[in-house]
Amino acid sequence: MPTVKITIDGTQIEADNKRTIIEVAREHGIKIPHFCWHPKLSVSGNCRMCLVEIEKMPKLAIACSTQVADGMVVHTKNERVVHARNAVMEFLLINHPLDCPICDEAGECKLQDYTYKYSTGYSRFDEDKVHKPKRIQLGPHVMFDAERCILCSRCVRFCDEIAGVHQLQFIQRGDHTELTTFPGEKLDNPYSMNVVDICPVGALTNADFRFKARVWEMSFTDTICQGCARGCNIEVGVRNNETLRLTPRRNDDVNGYWMCDHGRLDTFKFVNAENRIKAPMIRKDGVLVEVGWDEAIARVASELKSFKKSEVAALGSPFATNEDNHIFQRFVKEVLGTKNVDFVRHIVEGDEDNILLRSDKTPNSIGAAEVGVAPVEGGMSFDAIIEGIHEGKIKALYALEDDVAAVPGVAEVLPKLEFFAVHAANENSTTRYADVVLAAATFAEKNGTMVNFQRRVQRLRPAVTTLELDRAMDGFEMSRWDKFAAHNDKWGKGPRRDARASWKIVASIAAAMGTKFKYNSADEVFNEIAQRVESFKGLSYLKVGKKGAPLKAKAMAPVHA
Amino acid sequence: MERYILPDIPNFHEIDVYEQHGGYSALKKALGMNPAEVTDEVKKSNLRGRGGACFPTGLKWTFMPKDNAKPKYLCVNGDESEPGTFKDRQIFEFNPHQLIEGTLIGCYAMGITTAYIYIRGEYGKWIKMLQKAIDDAYAKGYIGQNILGSNFSTNIYLHKGAGAYICGEESSLMESLEGNRGYPRVKPPFPAQRGVWNCPTTINNVETMTNVPLIINKGWEWYSKIGAPKHPGPILVGISGHVNKPGVYEVATGELLTDLIYNYAGGVPGNKKIKAIIPGGSSTMILRGDQIEGVRMDADSLKAAGSSVGTAGMIVMDEETDLIRVISRISKFYYHESCGQCTPCREGTGWLWKILKRFETGEGRMQDIDLLVDIANNIEGNTICALGDAAAWPVQSMVRRFRDEFEKRAKRSEAAAA
Ligand SMILES: Cc1cc2nc3c(=O)[nH]c(=O)nc-3n(C[C@H](O)[C@H](O)[C@H](O)COP(=O)(O)O)c2cc1C
Ligand code: SF4
Ligand code: SF4
Ligand code: SF4
Ligand code: FES
Repeated sequence: MPTVKITIDGTQIEADNKRTIIEVAREHGIKIPHFCWHPKLSVSGNCRMCLVEIEKMPKLAIACSTQVADGMVVHTKNERVVHARNAVMEFLLINHPLDCPICDEAGECKLQDYTYKYSTGYSRFDEDKVHKPKRIQLGPHVMFDAERCILCSRCVRFCDEIAGVHQLQFIQRGDHTELTTFPGEKLDNPYSMNVVDICPVGALTNADFRFKARVWEMSFTDTICQGCARGCNIEVGVRNNETLRLTPRRNDDVNGYWMCDHGRLDTFKFVNAENRIKAPMIRKDGVLVEVGWDEAIARVASELKSFKKSEVAALGSPFATNEDNHIFQRFVKEVLGTKNVDFVRHIVEGDEDNILLRSDKTPNSIGAAEVGVAPVEGGMSFDAIIEGIHEGKIKALYALEDDVAAVPGVAEVLPKLEFFAVHAANENSTTRYADVVLAAATFAEKNGTMVNFQRRVQRLRPAVTTLELDRAMDGFEMSRWDKFAAHNDKWGKGPRRDARASWKIVASIAAAMGTKFKYNSADEVFNEIAQRVESFKGLSYLKVGKKGAPLKAKAMAPVHA
Repeated sequence: MERYILPDIPNFHEIDVYEQHGGYSALKKALGMNPAEVTDEVKKSNLRGRGGACFPTGLKWTFMPKDNAKPKYLCVNGDESEPGTFKDRQIFEFNPHQLIEGTLIGCYAMGITTAYIYIRGEYGKWIKMLQKAIDDAYAKGYIGQNILGSNFSTNIYLHKGAGAYICGEESSLMESLEGNRGYPRVKPPFPAQRGVWNCPTTINNVETMTNVPLIINKGWEWYSKIGAPKHPGPILVGISGHVNKPGVYEVATGELLTDLIYNYAGGVPGNKKIKAIIPGGSSTMILRGDQIEGVRMDADSLKAAGSSVGTAGMIVMDEETDLIRVISRISKFYYHESCGQCTPCREGTGWLWKILKRFETGEGRMQDIDLLVDIANNIEGNTICALGDAAAWPVQSMVRRFRDEFEKRAKRSEAAAA
């Protein structure tokens, strides 16, 4: 692409022709305020917040739609531009309800932020405001307040251009213009809640999160969605050790700015759920009762020792991290010495789209396989293990966190086992059959990595603390440390479960059986994976970073001419 | 002056009568020329658009790309919704075939095979009349396949608006044609680059296109000598307000405003003095009655006087007119018609009207006067389309030229409050 030379606020910049001023400025750290422009949506040019002066042009121009041209001299901060911006801010606010004290958006509102940054802080408007409907349910997950809407059309464009469904439109004209759904339509596409994130004001709110917390009371941790093999990059919002909200985090290689509603709503509530396994449990007289870790571990170790190697089977998990699965497969192969190891895949054929959602409903099936959770030569695969239990050949089963009893045909055979130990975070159909339930930390409580369907390694980070994490803050972000006992986010004082990362539990069982796996933290486990597994060679937590890193391509079979 | 747009011939709207008086001969002549020559002829004639901006028509036609595989379109703008403007409907009623002929010539010049005539939806009677004219022209082979046995084919479709002034703005008109909400588009890209259906498009006013057959028939030299040299040709002037004979008058450009008012429109009832006039439709700047002496109905003269030709819809107001009510009503119109897309116009038009309404009901304050100007200044030039400017100009000019009226009101209401 031909390049051009332009000047923005005195800085000379070389830029690609055809790009817009706002894009070029952004890439060079010059922020031009904007409401309607969004990097992934078409340009609509309606808010007029991005007006800039271009020398030799009589009128101010909008930076979001004006393409750079050679020799262009742009001013984004001079008096004329500041005046125009003040005017736009004043216009935007005259009919705005100024609901900030009761508005969910407050604290992360572009209008509020810009009011501080780019307005005079004073209004000359002395007339009656236009009133519009409030508290409208646009769809199952999104609430709308028409008075707060600044009519930027981001939500409309999102539905049209990203979700690919025409559900939103404006009606009426002038300052009576109002967003609504088309007749007979609801805002119910599988990505509907992204409009909440891109709405620059509190007009669109998350029906699930509304009024649960002020944003400044929460702490945010960068992590990965668990809803499918896409592994959308997300932020977990936590207050008082309770996960309250997931929001997408930009990663152009994985999910852009988006996530699906299923991921946003259905993949974190189990962390706080009533049916959480709060501590290890052993079945006594037919009932699971909480015990200490030492007792649970000793029990699993002694039970597993009592079977012949061929009578034991093990199931890793596509819901567990690479670190969990790696230690697990080492334990199975080196300590238990059984060849019968596999994991269950959860593929829902056809349940995917060309936006984000994948038919593989687990976040780490590639990682589990890649680190070696697979039958050893001559060992049993998952189907064979189930068949083996049925036939009485397999008498003991040790499984990482996965509700395997929900797989058709499995629940029927589990009662035949003589011993069944499972890692679980919540009570589920599998824990009903378990002799020992090992309280597993959820994705929100542990450090680790997962591999998405693109073979990209991505980091999980703990956002919620457990008793164990209180002692070793493995992977906690500094911001969370700083918040320790801060009055707004008393996470150190909130409910904490006696749950542990699966790899640590496995290592304890190994130790009880006489084999020491010595790692202090998840990144040490990862370093070992990077040494031992070809596709992970050269990777480290540092290299994986916030945005992930690709696994090495599988070596291609040599081609013979 | 002889009339060329609305000739004084009975039943001229009927195709036979039109043909008897040389109708469609310009089309025949054009088909014998090459398209670039036709455009050149229009360019040299200095015809300027009658839709409000006085843009040179021939120049506009040259913006259409020549080596483009996409189809091209012509939109003829008959939305005519500006207060004070009612001249295109005379063409629909009295001379629809000359409009059709001009449209066909434009299509030929620009290599266009589809033209839309976008007509104001409220124009029930004229919609029927124009449709009949189109049907008759099809029947006679002037529109359709291989027009007059040539290789040139074009269809003309009549499209009804649904009652929004904003759909007269060219890019909004195209959105409306496509079945979308009437939101103006951000320019660039301009219509000649990306117009209707994302294809190159030219938009011209009804009256503009009605001038084209004259130019082809009688040549650019003849045309360019009519009226004001830089803005030549016959022009339809709609005169309303306080005049004895309101109506549409065809004159040559450059006619004195005073002639238009006193000779054509028969002067002011009761011989009252003129307090103000709006020369070209409600969006043009208002002039004081004492500013119009020697001013002519052409682009340069009105610009020098501090206003513009617009659509030549002149509103005359006598000395007893309550200008505060006038400007309040004009502002209400732009407030009502703002499409609501861009911030300054959406919010500013309502604000202007609310303040002006207060002046009308005796609640205006001194500080509101400068505020009005400031709001108008903050709208002007900062919007997506020119409706923002159209809302700002009347207010700016009214305060500038009749500040005393505002001050009188403000003093009166402040005294009443005290
Ligand atoms: C708000 C608004 C309304 C308009 N309405 C009309 C209209 O009704 N008819 C018209 O010919 N032009 C109208 N225009 C001007 C058109 O955008 C366009 O300039 C014109 O049709 C071009 O034709 P011309 O070059 O032949 O004058 C309007 C412009 C604006 C900003
Ligand atoms: S609801 Fe939000 S995103 Fe949608 S138009 Fe209004 S302000 Fe913009
Ligand atoms: S697409 Fe998959 S990874 Fe992304 S948010 Fe949805 S469930 Fe989560
Ligand atoms: S200036 Fe007014 S009419 Fe034009 S796009 Fe903006 S809001 Fe709509
Ligand atoms: S960001 Fe450019 S007009 Fe809204």
